[in-house]
Amino acid sequence: MFRLQGSKVLAVDMTGDAVKAKNGSMVAYDGQMAFKKMTGGGEGIRGMVTRRLTGEQMTVMEVRGQGTCWFADRASEINLVNLQGDKLYVESSNLLATDAGLRTGTTFTGLRGASQGNGLFTTTVEGHGQAAIMSDGPAVVLRVSRQYPLTVDPGAYIAHQGNLHQSFQSGVTFRTFFGEGGGEAFQIRFEGDGLVYVQPSERNTIAGDV
Amino acid sequence: MSQYAGSGPTVFDPMTLPVDDNVNKYTFCVELKGSQWFLQKGKMIAYYGSMEFNGIGHGRLDRLVRTSFHSPLHASDWVVADGSGKMLLADRAFDVNAYDLEDANMTIRSGNLLAFQPSLALKQSIVPGFLTLIGTGKIVAASSGPVVFMEPPIRVDPQALVGWADCPSPCHHYDHAYMTGLMGGLRAMTGIGGASGEEHQFEFVGAGTVLLQSSENLMPEQATGVVPHEPGVPGGGGVRTGPSQQAGAPRLPGQLGDLQRRFGL
Repeated sequence: MFRLQGSKVLAVDMTGDAVKAKNGSMVAYDGQMAFKKMTGGGEGIRGMVTRRLTGEQMTVMEVRGQGTCWFADRASEINLVNLQGDKLYVESSNLLATDAGLRTGTTFTGLRGASQGNGLFTTTVEGHGQAAIMSDGPAVVLRVSRQYPLTVDPGAYIAHQGNLHQSFQSGVTFRTFFGEGGGEAFQIRFEGDGLVYVQPSERNTIAGDV
Repeated sequence: MSQYAGSGPTVFDPMTLPVDDNVNKYTFCVELKGSQWFLQKGKMIAYYGSMEFNGIGHGRLDRLVRTSFHSPLHASDWVVADGSGKMLLADRAFDVNAYDLEDANMTIRSGNLLAFQPSLALKQSIVPGFLTLIGTGKIVAASSGPVVFMEPPIRVDPQALVGWADCPSPCHHYDHAYMTGLMGGLRAMTGIGGASGEEHQFEFVGAGTVLLQSSENLMPEQATGVVPHEPGVPGGGGVRTGPSQQAGAPRLPGQLGDLQRRFGL
């Protein structure tokens, strides 16, 4: 059972079950806990090789026990995500913890990843359960539906879930090269049905100042 | 619709997003209905609807720029958002606030200003590094920590100043100890002998409001150059000493220049 204590600490109540969490993110626990490092994100040999190859690295530990365990990472804001059989796409650096029952994996993101400056691959979380993702400032959750597609700045994007189709938009014109660009040269457009998480801050992206 | 219920605190869609108001402390939502807003580059984080972002030099914007944008130094940092839909603005997870002006004026540190309505006119303040907005409309500005409103007469720490409204521009205030000879300068420069770090303030007088942020965390500003060298223009054509120093900013007390002057060099 995931719950937030304040907005920057995640408390997980456990009764013999387990969670996967970012390595070293435990700040306190109560009761009996065992911490086990999971090599290769706990995805087996194949997952390990994939992560090594794609650079989407994630060091994960499995926490199992009875009691409450608290997690936090660099005072980042934490957002809870409920998954009911759908898939969450998140950068491995923004993923704090997942239920042990959720499957994690890697997927190709294409140009979006490149424009964000964090690689061509992203982490997926799938199944039924809860996950906790981190953001710089509290994330705003935006719904995308058929009539309302959403356009997001790659630097502010942190995660999305549901059945979304993403496309890459470029506003680069000849003006960009004269320093007269629109300031939002690269954008990701989401269409379909699902949720997009954006943070109130922008990572440094390749196109940061264009 | 209820498929993803319970994920996150609140899920927003174009119907539930506020109109020209804060979504949370760090995010501001602007509604465009065929209207335009000026915004600083890279502060848009997401939008619904169809929008276009064009640099200030875009030919189609000539008329708008003529009436509302009078700062060539900052032209390369600003764009005009055009279209219809709702757009979210945020800046490095700083607090974001909107200010309504009615036939008034407000001056804001240029790095803190996120966006404004074109019904206002933007001009460079005579105080370097600040921008003045005159007219009627809405301003969106960021601050490190919540903004505190104060009334003059007041002396404020330079790093805590976000801006001011309606009152005359501030002047520098140096404590007496600074002016007492060589020892004062050495003290301020080295911090030895009890310099508190608060010997220099901005002083406001007159009627108006002073906006302070509740931290001395300055937002990094982009170098914007200096005003042209003309007789009678303060800060014009000054020599830049380094990239970190704001354009034409008052030299901090204790810098070597002050000592040199004391020695008459």
